[in-house]
Amino acid sequence: MTWLGIAALGVLLALPAVVSSYVLTILIFIFFYAFLGQAWNVVGGYAGQLSVGHAAFLGVGAYASAVLAQEVGLSPWLGMFVGGALAGALGAVIGYLGFRFGLRGFYFVLLTVAFAEVCRIVVNNVEAVGGAVGFYITFTGDPRQFQFRDNRAWYYVTLVLMLAATGIVALIERRRFGVYLAAIREDESAAEALGVDTLRYKMLAMIVSSFLTGVGGTFYACYLLSLQPNAVFGIPLSVEIIIRPIVGGSGTLLGPILGSFILTPLAEVSRYYLGQGGWHGAHLIAYGVLLVAVVLFLPEGAYPRLVRLVRARKRA
Amino acid sequence: MSTVTRRAFLKATAAGVAVVGFPLPLRAQAKTVKVGLIHTVTGPLAEPGQACRAGAQLAADMINAAGGITSLGGAKIEFLLGDTQTKSDVARTEAERVINQGAQVLMGTFDSGNTAAIVPVAQQRRVPFLVDVAAADPITANVAKSVKAGQQKVQYVYRNFPTGSSFGRRAVQYFNEIFKETGQNPRRVVVMHANDLFGSIQAKGFKAAWDAAKPSWEIVDVIPWPEPPSDLSTEVSRAKALKPDIIAPITRPASAQLLLPELIKQRVEVLGVISPGSPGLYEAGQIAALKQDLEYVMDNVPWPNFKNPKTQQVAAEYRKRTGGKTFDTQSGYSYDAVFILADVLERAKSTDPDAIVDAIKKTRFSGGLMVYGGPVIFNDLGDNPNAIPAMIQILGQKPLVVWPKDAAQEKLVFPRPKR
Amino acid sequence: MDLTLVAQGLLSGLLFGGVTSLMAVGLTLIFGVMRVVNFAHGDMMVWGMYLAWMLSSRAGIDPYLGFVVCAAALFVLGLGVQRGLVDRILDAPHEMQILLMLGVALVLENAALVAFGPEPARVRSSLTLPPLWLGPLFVDVARLITFVIAIALTVLLGLFLFRTAFGRRIRAAADNPYGALVVGTDVRRVYAVAFGIGAACVGAAGALVAPILPFQPTTGLGLSVASFNIVIIGGMGSLLGAFLGGLIVSIAESLGAVFLAPSMKELVSFGLLIVILLFRPAGLFGKRAA
Repeated sequence: MTWLGIAALGVLLALPAVVSSYVLTILIFIFFYAFLGQAWNVVGGYAGQLSVGHAAFLGVGAYASAVLAQEVGLSPWLGMFVGGALAGALGAVIGYLGFRFGLRGFYFVLLTVAFAEVCRIVVNNVEAVGGAVGFYITFTGDPRQFQFRDNRAWYYVTLVLMLAATGIVALIERRRFGVYLAAIREDESAAEALGVDTLRYKMLAMIVSSFLTGVGGTFYACYLLSLQPNAVFGIPLSVEIIIRPIVGGSGTLLGPILGSFILTPLAEVSRYYLGQGGWHGAHLIAYGVLLVAVVLFLPEGAYPRLVRLVRARKRA
Repeated sequence: MSTVTRRAFLKATAAGVAVVGFPLPLRAQAKTVKVGLIHTVTGPLAEPGQACRAGAQLAADMINAAGGITSLGGAKIEFLLGDTQTKSDVARTEAERVINQGAQVLMGTFDSGNTAAIVPVAQQRRVPFLVDVAAADPITANVAKSVKAGQQKVQYVYRNFPTGSSFGRRAVQYFNEIFKETGQNPRRVVVMHANDLFGSIQAKGFKAAWDAAKPSWEIVDVIPWPEPPSDLSTEVSRAKALKPDIIAPITRPASAQLLLPELIKQRVEVLGVISPGSPGLYEAGQIAALKQDLEYVMDNVPWPNFKNPKTQQVAAEYRKRTGGKTFDTQSGYSYDAVFILADVLERAKSTDPDAIVDAIKKTRFSGGLMVYGGPVIFNDLGDNPNAIPAMIQILGQKPLVVWPKDAAQEKLVFPRPKR
Repeated sequence: MDLTLVAQGLLSGLLFGGVTSLMAVGLTLIFGVMRVVNFAHGDMMVWGMYLAWMLSSRAGIDPYLGFVVCAAALFVLGLGVQRGLVDRILDAPHEMQILLMLGVALVLENAALVAFGPEPARVRSSLTLPPLWLGPLFVDVARLITFVIAIALTVLLGLFLFRTAFGRRIRAAADNPYGALVVGTDVRRVYAVAFGIGAACVGAAGALVAPILPFQPTTGLGLSVASFNIVIIGGMGSLLGAFLGGLIVSIAESLGAVFLAPSMKELVSFGLLIVILLFRPAGLFGKRAA
């Protein structure tokens, strides 16, 4: 297993030498969404608190670092942590409101949706950051401003993001923190009865998750060069963030990565084959059908299924 | 059960690798210029994006039928189609994909945010990008800025579409000219706008131009609504309470269908409904849906010049191809962009990116079908200062140019008759 | 502040509230019985709208009659989604249910795009008369009819759930699925019917709102979010809460457009939501914390 991981890493490190810029772009988004999925995984997977408002954290992080860079001249290299901190603070507020009152399950889902929508509406009305027109970032290609001329540099940036988040989650998984989170997910009342301070650990999970997502906002801003409230705070982005870890297997270390490697290419393939004809929208129908199929055939997620298959084969 | 799943999974993965991993073999042997045509074909902005694609395709078919690009040995224009899904990350990926498939020029995208996401790709990969529709000023201005600052060597991004700020200036100018021409003296203008990307660009541009021009009329209030709205009745009551002489709406098609009937229902008595620049007030589908509620409404939009007989022919062909749609702002500007591109390629005599950029900079093209303030040229920002809107009015259930005077198809009706 | 404007805002909001109530009642029924959040709720509503549009433009059936057909069609769709999809994953983790409904939503939205195109559509009713004026206030006739029918449907649904044997079984299953199983209820049948009724509510709501609200394939998302809001404010799973919550939210947003910049009016309902969560997390009419 370890050797397999090292080999995979070797391949990923060497890939930019052989593939086109287009494939790099796809990989960049695979890594980036795996990173976001991993960040979500902390609270949504391990702690089992389903947030469908994670776009809010990305949006706060993205706007904070972009506005600081453009208006104050603060490098996004630092701005990304300011953005992360602000997103973490927002996560703390939402988490506190939700967890303190014991809002579980779907209540929490809807609370997070609502908060992301509040952010979207407010930023749409704040003229100082461009309102609904959005905030535009000048393309310089200057690495000091977290911009790169070469897609390969972006590739390594997102690879590092993904690996770092995965490393953090691996650490959490191995510590008591991770055990507590799993206990909360499985049976919160039982965990409480055993003396686990569930509020504290859920809050911690939320803050770590929102902080990481906020850091990711800087990549979004600097790679795509404009921010519109409807795009970066909108529900569609929140959905993009959650579907990969869910498909891959939420609450597992490699689920978000596997999910991203499955879904992003599938979206690409269906758009490529079905996006050319006159039936605009056919490719998204296909994508929707695929999501439904995943739920029906892999209800526990792809990674747990993969593990089971491998074990079954070993036994046989 | 599980083997089926696994097989399906492997197959899907293999298909993914096939497309992702290896560039497709070049199909056509005939000489072509490959143009990446990327628009918002699905998602919230699907409608205008599809119109852009249809307009561009019509233009390419006409150019190809007439023998292609002569200076390139009769090379045909071949589109590589892209769909941004109205998402910036998809826009960037689609740009990379079409370039990977050999796109030598990019065109698109209707949405300013999606367009901005393609800018770095065009700059990095040195693929000239002709923006057909997108109004946010920074798209080109930011590139010009970084070229000036020496951070970029060459500007590859150019736009043939009025920018947000130029829209506003023209709107205020036309308002003044129309009021003067008709001897009217309205005082109170209420701006009502969709608070989305385009709606607020337009509202801001109009307000800024009004502040600068200090005309005799006043903008008494600006009422933005969340787009898409579920209800505009209170907004209209609010506007009515301000006793406006003019309602200046900036809508999307759906919100226009809410707003205009509501103005009639609530008996908002005004001299006219004049938009500073807005979709939703002229499309064939909108006229069919809104009927009399649209009559006499004026709109300051980039519009085809129907005084040009060729425009009439093209519009008829477009209507035939699209099942009755109007050749309008989106389809028209995308159509013109392809002809501008053909003109550029004729003069560049090459598909080398820098040769194309040189040719773009020297453009003086007057074969466009839209209403222009002069030939198509590109200034130091990369914008065409002669891309201007025209004032159209719905008269007899048809959108007709009524201002500026030399492009007018019909005499304008203002104030609108009482009903 | 202009009092006429406030009164008008109140009235317009109330009249629009009928359909938002009906839509939220459908959502809360599905949630209450199956504990599944229907992320495709708004998209189902949009299909109700398009069906009303087809009936009106192809067969000349007025939407105020056609809503019956739309409700029936959506009942079948809801039944199908429950039997074919939701039923298989009732025991799966919550996130899988969400993913499933998101997939369904994506399919419904883009099927509408393929079938009807992206242009906004609107249904014309022959009953769309000029508004009635009560002094300075006006009453939009279409809204009034929509309101009356929507309220009537909600009351009928209430009678069904509280006064008929099958209705009682649905409520029993909602309160305690295992208990219902013990007393010999065919829970799967109850689930399928409940999902069907929930979808029928939103189908009827779609048809009824079609003469007032122009719609596009993308309209669904906003409607889903609006319904989510209402059911939390009213109390998840509470029919009365969803019904009154719909009216309250509609009035609050309408008044929000009077007092705030209208582009912020949606904040009123979200603000309301946060206040509710702070002081009454079970919602206005929820019996217990979730």
